[in-house]
Amino acid sequence: MRTFLLLTFLSLLTISWTRLEAQESIIPQDSTDFGDFLVLQDQVPGLSFRWQIKDKSLPESLLLDSLFLFAKTDSGYISQPMEHFAQLHEMSSRFGLDSLNVGLSYRVYSEEVSWQGAREYLANLVRNGDYQPIYEVKDVSEDLVVLAKKTPYSPFLKFKILFISDYKLFIVTAVIIFFFVVSIVMIIFMIILKVKKSKREQHKKEYENLIIDPLTSLLFEKELDEISVMKASDFHAYFPAELLQKVLFKEVLIQKIIGLNKKMKGEFKGKLKTIYQKLDLDKMSIQSLKSGKWYKITQGLVEINEMDLVEALTEVKGHANSDNFHVRSQAVATLLNLSEKVDLNFLKDQTFPLSEWQQMNYLRIIKFVSNVKPLKLEVLFESSNQSIRVFGIKLVRMLGRLDLLVNLANISEEVGLEEQIEILETYETLGAHMEVGFINRCLSSENEELAFAAAKAAFSLGDENSVKLIYSRLAKDQLSFKLKKQLLKTLHALDISKFDQATIGASDPISGQIRAHILDPLLSHV
Amino acid sequence: MKKILIIEDDLLISSLVQFRLKKDGYDTHLVQDGNEGVKAIDTLNPDLIITDVMMPFRSGIEIIHHAKKHQPDTPIIVLSSLGEEEQVVLEAFNLGVSDFIPKPFNPNELAIRVKRILQ
Repeated sequence: MRTFLLLTFLSLLTISWTRLEAQESIIPQDSTDFGDFLVLQDQVPGLSFRWQIKDKSLPESLLLDSLFLFAKTDSGYISQPMEHFAQLHEMSSRFGLDSLNVGLSYRVYSEEVSWQGAREYLANLVRNGDYQPIYEVKDVSEDLVVLAKKTPYSPFLKFKILFISDYKLFIVTAVIIFFFVVSIVMIIFMIILKVKKSKREQHKKEYENLIIDPLTSLLFEKELDEISVMKASDFHAYFPAELLQKVLFKEVLIQKIIGLNKKMKGEFKGKLKTIYQKLDLDKMSIQSLKSGKWYKITQGLVEINEMDLVEALTEVKGHANSDNFHVRSQAVATLLNLSEKVDLNFLKDQTFPLSEWQQMNYLRIIKFVSNVKPLKLEVLFESSNQSIRVFGIKLVRMLGRLDLLVNLANISEEVGLEEQIEILETYETLGAHMEVGFINRCLSSENEELAFAAAKAAFSLGDENSVKLIYSRLAKDQLSFKLKKQLLKTLHALDISKFDQATIGASDPISGQIRAHILDPLLSHV
Repeated sequence: MKKILIIEDDLLISSLVQFRLKKDGYDTHLVQDGNEGVKAIDTLNPDLIITDVMMPFRSGIEIIHHAKKHQPDTPIIVLSSLGEEEQVVLEAFNLGVSDFIPKPFNPNELAIRVKRILQ
């Protein structure tokens, strides 16, 4: 605050000083103009003048003049001190000065000074603000600015409009206007959308109420055969023709029929499907598969799946390898559900890797489908997509397909590491004793994950060769704790004496700790 | 005429059940949430209650509790999805419900069970 006040004071001081400087500069620099300037002022405090005439004699009229009151001196005559500078011209105008040796002397108070001294005195008064000089009033008609104003003005600018010429101001204004326009447009757009949405919701509610009674009547009053032979016009008695032309009404009808289909069973399911087809709602579902929007395609697939629209399988197949995760998943789920002969070729040809979620989803459907339809799981082993091959092996295990163990044995040596681990787990789960050779080969693998899976499988399926391999591996190699523990557990299960040899007196303290852990009955299942 | 109270939040399902039971000559009353269900039990004094489990405001289990406390002799049929509420179904049976019909269901089968219970 203090700084602000100081700065304000200094600014004011500077401004007033500049003003005073400007005033001082208007005092003329030569004696004649200075005299004229003083005439204009008439009186300046402390400043006066006297006439000096250096002649031996004066005209009598001048000598007797009461204004000047000339007095005789050694060098001539001198007038009384005069304070009114307006009287400077009195002398010449009344008496004429051509024949006289006249001089002017200035006085500051009672002290005589030169004209420069008088000027300096006056300048000092102005500088200190003790005197406000009077400016000469000029004829306004001669003022340059006034003259300039009279001339037509055309700015020297790039554009005719001054506002556009200041491009920075123009840009800022344009941005602000753009912001406001966009905001207003967005608000209007949001209001329109909200109104549309609320109208749509209102219509949906109305349609829902309009659907319930006719649908209930149709389901209870008509038998399946009767519905099957009904014509489109017959349905108009239940659902008015003008409503059936509205897309929203059809969408609500689809939702209601699908919702009901999920909760109904027996002949009602058949009736609902027939109504769905008779009202051409199936065509609407199939049509939505051609949409460019993924959620519409997925919705269409869900509808086809729920209503068992087998006739749409060709269109569904087209989406089994879609770029979109949801579309792909739903298409495969629909194919699995609806295909009469589930050869799983569409799954084999999938190029995208299967996620855990997709695997769970497909497994749920395949488990259900495998009870009613023959499944050719082996085609999945031929897929070029590794995740599909792994999923195929998992399915053998989950569905308990012992008949496919031969197929697994045929591919086990050629497939990658991940599939080999899955095969080992499958052998272990299904108790494939005949595949112990493969298990033993994997026991010697340099890859710890594969060796670990083999050691786990050997726990229940191992033979004397497994014992030898495990024993030698424990003696020779530097193993991770996880693998060493599994090998020792398997060795303990297969041959306890070899287990003792490998652990009692072992230089490695970890082997002793694992032994204690395995032999502790309280920790045996930990 | 026997009075049946149907407590179900899905209007289409409840309308279907109502339509089917009306055909058999029952006096049916429809409510769509748990709170209305509890009020209807107190005011209507129904001969049979058919209730869903998952509903707004009050669950089917709360309704069964209320019914068994105030009208212990009124039979109750639970109409719900078995898969998602296995524990709830067991609890309902422990509370003394007369029957449980899992969704998806056949309204004709429900009508037969209603008839058997009310006889």
